[in-house]
Amino acid sequence: MSATPVIGSFEGFSDVKLVGRQVRYEQLSFWLNPVGAAFTVGFSVVFLILLGASTGNQRIGFYGNIRLVQYYVPGFAAYGVMAACFNILAITLVNRREMGLLKRLRLTPLPTWALITAIVLSSMVISAVEVVLLLAVGRLGFSVHFPDNVGAFVVAIVVGMLSFSALGVAMSTLVPNQDAAGPVISIIFFVLLFLSGLWFPAKPGSGLAQFSSYFPVRHFILAVFAPFDTQKGASAWAWHDLLIVAIWGVVGFIVAVRRWKWSPRRG
Amino acid sequence: MAAISVRNLEKTYDAKQAVKGVSFEVSQGEVFALLGPNGAGKTTIIEILEGFRDRSAGEVETLGVDPANRPTQRWLRTRIGVVLQELAVEPYYSVRQVLTRNAGFFPSPRSVDEVIALVGLIEKADARVKTLSGGQQRRLDVGLGIVGNPELLFLDEPTTGLDPSGRRDTWELIRKLASEGTTVLLTTHYMDEVDALADHVVVLNNAQIVATGTPASLGGRDSGAVTIRFALPDGVSASDLPVPIHAESDGLVEIQTEDELRVLHKLSGWALDRNLRLPGLSVARVTLEDVYLQLTRDEK
Repeated sequence: MSATPVIGSFEGFSDVKLVGRQVRYEQLSFWLNPVGAAFTVGFSVVFLILLGASTGNQRIGFYGNIRLVQYYVPGFAAYGVMAACFNILAITLVNRREMGLLKRLRLTPLPTWALITAIVLSSMVISAVEVVLLLAVGRLGFSVHFPDNVGAFVVAIVVGMLSFSALGVAMSTLVPNQDAAGPVISIIFFVLLFLSGLWFPAKPGSGLAQFSSYFPVRHFILAVFAPFDTQKGASAWAWHDLLIVAIWGVVGFIVAVRRWKWSPRRG
Repeated sequence: MAAISVRNLEKTYDAKQAVKGVSFEVSQGEVFALLGPNGAGKTTIIEILEGFRDRSAGEVETLGVDPANRPTQRWLRTRIGVVLQELAVEPYYSVRQVLTRNAGFFPSPRSVDEVIALVGLIEKADARVKTLSGGQQRRLDVGLGIVGNPELLFLDEPTTGLDPSGRRDTWELIRKLASEGTTVLLTTHYMDEVDALADHVVVLNNAQIVATGTPASLGGRDSGAVTIRFALPDGVSASDLPVPIHAESDGLVEIQTEDELRVLHKLSGWALDRNLRLPGLSVARVTLEDVYLQLTRDEK
């Protein structure tokens, strides 16, 4: 054996290229499943159009009398991020683990960090596509203005992407098998979305708002909404909400690292 | 240097001992078969050698490094190829896409076209994985195992689910790889596969090694008794024969002997003198399967 038998876990630029390449393959895998891709990306857009067209012009008294659709655009942008980074990511990881795909990749020279980074970056790309589509539909279809504070909007979206990705990976470790993955993860996701006021904004201080404030979903919706909502003189930076989203993200990260498994849980 | 060296390997899961005091060596360039019933510890040993699973005790070297040693794991994975027992390939890629992706993980991979040809998937190169038959997916699986141009290839039941011609093709491929210097560690339940491919064999039962050797010598197969079988000719009874027999049923006679030349000489001379035939005459050594079943029978 000629070469020294050590290749570092990070080999600089060549590893950055490796991650970029892996992100491309993750994207390919996602878009090559047209039904899955259309459902993931299209769902939020279709919902925005339906709700915007039916109830979009109603006013929300407790948010400075803005049109409902003005709330729906950031709300569904938040939904798009959570769907790609939490829901789809968690289900995909359970499927890959149980099919033995993770184990197979583990036995190649692709480092663990590079694989996970690529999977998370790919989810972020998908959710970014959704966010851009939703902003465009809101602008063109319902004359919803873009966020007043773009910086605050981008920061909120990125914090959400990272936190919900961590929670998505953590969630995948809690689901024992493929059959349970879709139903269990989606039910948790949609119940939290409903309680957190995605479809019907929960009045601040109400019992529902109080209950859902223990979970990250409502805080993330509010943090994405804040940069749009400068009419009542509120700050575009919802620091408190972002902090809670980030704390959940850290908890998710710890659970993900501690419970991560490469092998199928069956057998 | 040995490609693999295992000394007093132990692995315990909770209270169950999956591997007990196993030792063996695999030389570079040989085809080495691990045999044993399901649950005997084969996959656990392979996973320890790959660095996928930690061991409880003992010493292990794969290509000269400890597979559990994290700093050398990435290096080790550039030099091994793995075909898992379960089919595991992403469904939406084409054959070429998934092979190209995996080739990119390795510093000096085989060309993707060469791999596609080696595993016989030229016509399916651009087909989606999910449209492949089980046998074709198995071939792709083997392709993924060799695309990195490994020095050491782990094949966990590589021909399960293949039709007879697919099995022969895979055997040819394994022989070709071995002739080029690739070391192959193989598990299988097919004894003809072991006879055809393996240079050395280890048989495991209940987490322990119960026999080692070449396929031809395993369990004293090369020296033990030979079985001669034939049907009694019309009008002849077993007591007319010039040699003692060991069993007779429905006119079929079985003779066991360690002196087969002399017995055959007597028998054939006797038959020729009387102008008789011995229908269905066969002479067989004990098969590898017989030996294997004997070795892995649980004495309870």
